[in-house]
Amino acid sequence: MKLRISTRNVRKLVSAGLVVVLMLVFSLSADSFWNWRNMGNLFHDAAFLGLIALGLSFVMTGGGIDLSVGGIVCVTAILVSRFGTLGGSSVPGVLAALFAVLCGGAFGLINGVLVTRVRLTEFVTTLATGILYSGLGLLLAYRDNGKLSGVIVPKGIQNESFLSLGEKVGGTGVFLVTYIWIALSAAMYFVMRRTNFGLHTYAIGSHSRSAGMSGVNVRRIKTLGFVISGAFAGLASAMLTANMTAASASLGNNGYEFQGIAACVVGGIALGGGKGDPVNAMIGAIFLQTILNGLLKFNIQAYWSYVIQGVIIIAATAFDTLFGRVTHMLRERRSIAGREAV
Amino acid sequence: MRPTLKKPERTPDGGAERTVTFEDRAGKSLLRTEGVYKQFNGVTVLRDVALDVRYGEVHALMGENGAGKSTIIKIITGVYEKDAGRIMIDGEPVEINDSHDARRAGISVIYQELSLVPALTVAENIFLGQEPGRYGVTGRSEMRERVSALIDRYGFRIDPDAVVDSLGMSQRQMVEILKALSTDAKLVIMDEPTSSLSTAESERLFETIDLLRQKGVGILYVSHRLEEVYRLSDRLTVMRGGEVVGVLDHDEIVPKTVTTMMIGREIRDANARRGYKIYEDNVLEVSHLRYGKLLRDVSFKAYGGEILGIGGLVGSGRTELVKCIYGALRRSGGDVTYRGAPVSKSIGRNIRAGFGFVPEDRRVEGLFPALSIGRNITVASHDKLSRVSVMNKGAEQRWAEEAIKNYDIRPRDRGYRAANLSGGNQQKVVLGRWLAREPDVLLLDEPTVGVDVGVRAELYEYVRFLASRGSIIIMVSSDLFELTHIADRILVMHGGVFFEEFTGAAATQAAVLLAASGQHTDEGVALI
Repeated sequence: MKLRISTRNVRKLVSAGLVVVLMLVFSLSADSFWNWRNMGNLFHDAAFLGLIALGLSFVMTGGGIDLSVGGIVCVTAILVSRFGTLGGSSVPGVLAALFAVLCGGAFGLINGVLVTRVRLTEFVTTLATGILYSGLGLLLAYRDNGKLSGVIVPKGIQNESFLSLGEKVGGTGVFLVTYIWIALSAAMYFVMRRTNFGLHTYAIGSHSRSAGMSGVNVRRIKTLGFVISGAFAGLASAMLTANMTAASASLGNNGYEFQGIAACVVGGIALGGGKGDPVNAMIGAIFLQTILNGLLKFNIQAYWSYVIQGVIIIAATAFDTLFGRVTHMLRERRSIAGREAV
Repeated sequence: MRPTLKKPERTPDGGAERTVTFEDRAGKSLLRTEGVYKQFNGVTVLRDVALDVRYGEVHALMGENGAGKSTIIKIITGVYEKDAGRIMIDGEPVEINDSHDARRAGISVIYQELSLVPALTVAENIFLGQEPGRYGVTGRSEMRERVSALIDRYGFRIDPDAVVDSLGMSQRQMVEILKALSTDAKLVIMDEPTSSLSTAESERLFETIDLLRQKGVGILYVSHRLEEVYRLSDRLTVMRGGEVVGVLDHDEIVPKTVTTMMIGREIRDANARRGYKIYEDNVLEVSHLRYGKLLRDVSFKAYGGEILGIGGLVGSGRTELVKCIYGALRRSGGDVTYRGAPVSKSIGRNIRAGFGFVPEDRRVEGLFPALSIGRNITVASHDKLSRVSVMNKGAEQRWAEEAIKNYDIRPRDRGYRAANLSGGNQQKVVLGRWLAREPDVLLLDEPTVGVDVGVRAELYEYVRFLASRGSIIIMVSSDLFELTHIADRILVMHGGVFFEEFTGAAATQAAVLLAASGQHTDEGVALI
């Protein structure tokens, strides 16, 4: 147990430590970084990305991948904006958010059924449905705006209750979405580490054939992973739409699926599955957002952030490979020593 | 829904689990089969097989490849359906049609390829799919308690919280056994459990098996290793050609008796090659070759014109030896030279230098199932069939057609998909790929596994012909007949080194079999 806890947490501590170092560097070198306003914004953006990564962490820990979350964000944004403006815009915000979660979950369910029942590969399935969902979003937006061609103008929303989802809470500088994200991350951590569903997710991510032979319902666990991934993408979409006070069908082009995967990888969730939990996704999202935000405070070309993100993803993966090798070596040594002692 | 398994009941005081005890039944009949017959495509593979395993005994099952050991086990565990006969547990006839029936009957198999999840702990693995707890929240403390109780009961030394990934093979098998016992297995079947274990690890497994026996569990133990069987088993059933040849008590387990029973009467083959020409200039020399823990120090010379057989059990390092020579594995030490020059570590260069390699598992490493027969044959000869990397279509077709004709590959259609060929023809395709190049060094790893008798004879003929032209042939084989009748010289491996060399009349099947399990013929009895 000791070894497990330590290796599991070392990875988190390393990322979290790097985040702290980055924040220190940015606060010392840029005047406009360390203040309530900017921190509120940073954690707003991190929460949005974090919600997507949180959902993805279930698919990825289960050894899968979901490239459709960007598409889900896009189509759900349009759907929730329509829903939120129904009946003279009197729909409560909570209900709208719930609607978005259900929509996202339904899209995730489609992915899950295609992967586990029709037996298509995850990569191709979610690549295709991602494009499909974005397309649906664009079509719906076009119908809303009629004559448009090419440019999709965001449709404004006038529903106070719904828009309050995208605002700060009380007098603090912290957005509602940040609180929701932290609370849900904690809840999902419990689900992942303490429930049978979580245990089975690790099992299929680590060795799905063995898991199946042990009586784990691999198809159900996989499908549920996609549903969770979609549901969180849907929630993220609602929160973002409320924050922007408008739904934009161009959200599908923003590459959220890759940013989400990047956040997971940087946080320490292995692409091959079987490793990591929602806390890793959380740290990863803060890490990436800190860099994006911090770099803006310097007067350098904004495109540099892409280059730096790429480098960080490679570095994180390289670190994990090396880290894995070192811990494996230590374990071997320990087990040999143990055997000799016996 | 996942299949519901019998969950161990809890004692009224809410403490540890009930575990069924078998000690009091020791010596009573546990599993009995009577008159089991099985045919595949009209070939009888099991004939009137009677097995009898008792509580609290380790019952070994031995026999050559193809003797029917795996088939009878698959019938007992419900993988195959028997054509005739009865299976009885505790004296009651039972119908076992699938793995669930087997589990319900208390039969559990520890497969060579383990069924554990590396990322989870020992306890999590044991209860995977049947976790205790409420509302989907894993009952960790109950899980721990029950696993600890199980571990204590059998006196195993293993940490329930250790991650399986960090365990050695013998400990993983221990987990696998615990998993079986957690569902109240009374008969544990082990199929070659030591093939991937080191000596020390094997010893730990034997201790585990001893503990199980003391607790009254019955163990059916399949093995090729005599010394192991002698060390462990209370009784031994020997099979040959689908029949039970005899049942021996522990004291009757004498190497000579067992090998004679396994092989039957030895027939000397009149067609064996006598007097072959050695081509001294065509020489491959291996000196002090090492590969991890599998090859410790292997040295030999092979000459053109000679068929060199490599014997030994699975896991003795045979496959690694030929792969290291060919360049498919990177050796950790030692030298390989061909005609005095070092052999490259690049497969491509070795092929151009005249090497060829027929791997053990043709479906994984040899064949391209989706490609045509023609492409499968020409794939290793692009150097001869292309100019500046552009294939000469005509030459490629002629090359393929000639090989199909020479090696009698059916159907005679170079466009035919290799996946649809019979096993024998697939092997001819893989062999033909190399034979067509007339390699100077041909490495064969189990060239006739899954190949019927008729095709076998043809393959031997091609290999002999190649040898008579001056090529070096190195043939790894588990088939004793093949080794003693086709090879001119046999090197038997055991524990990563050459254990014994045989030539001429000394190369009997019994001698090779004994050497493979680490015993010299003349001291066979004395050693154990």
